[in-house]
Amino acid sequence: MRLDRELACQEVVELMTAYLDDVLDPLDRERFEEHLVFCDGCSNYLEQMRATIVLAGHVSLELPPALEERLLEAFRGWRGS
Amino acid sequence: MAGIVIAYKFLSSGRIAPFTGFGWPVGEWVDAGGIDPCRHGVHACSVHHLPIWLDTELWEIELGGEVLEQARKLVAPRGRLVRRVESWNAVLLREFGLACLRRTRERVGSLPILSGYVADVGRHVVGGRVPLGAFAAARAAELRDGSRGYEQERGSQAAWLAERLGLERADVV
Repeated sequence: MRLDRELACQEVVELMTAYLDDVLDPLDRERFEEHLVFCDGCSNYLEQMRATIVLAGHVSLELPPALEERLLEAFRGWRGS
Repeated sequence: MAGIVIAYKFLSSGRIAPFTGFGWPVGEWVDAGGIDPCRHGVHACSVHHLPIWLDTELWEIELGGEVLEQARKLVAPRGRLVRRVESWNAVLLREFGLACLRRTRERVGSLPILSGYVADVGRHVVGGRVPLGAFAAARAAELRDGSRGYEQERGSQAAWLAERLGLERADVV
């Protein structure tokens, strides 16, 4: 038996990006935050994600054009696979 | 509910909202510009919501405008921190956890397949993870009595908090 509304840590981790992007529906967002209240592991993971986003936002990175094109090509292939 | 509603709000240390990082001022109205539960609005608790949202600081908050009451929270377009509930502290948090442990022991301690929850709740409380202990207590109650058990345990937790903190349910004034 399991409460319908209860999220496991694995589900919270899977929803982390959606939470940060603010695209969870209200009920899922509430369940997500309810889990954070008692789960130090997921709370810490969320803080790490937020810190990473902040740090990455300050990184000024310019790739050599050839490398950038190779990466884009690889991603195109990945999306299509 | 409309008018000024007296409610409660848990915040992290330093009056920081745990999910948004917003630093709450004291005595100043904060206007969220509308209500969109879990996104926009001032989120707060009636007494029976409190056990779900435990945090370091507990504040009394006035909510203004049309207040939406949901199963697990109140949402209003604006709010103002009135006073900190000083009696909510680390000592009382631990006592709250021990009360959860006692109820769990009484409820499932003699049931072989659920008695492990008593140790779980105890370990979390002693380890300082009281919100997790409170959740585990509710979960043990659910496993014995279904969702009614979960709600009963959360209700007992809320009643304990209300009594020890001298709180009343959110009321329109």
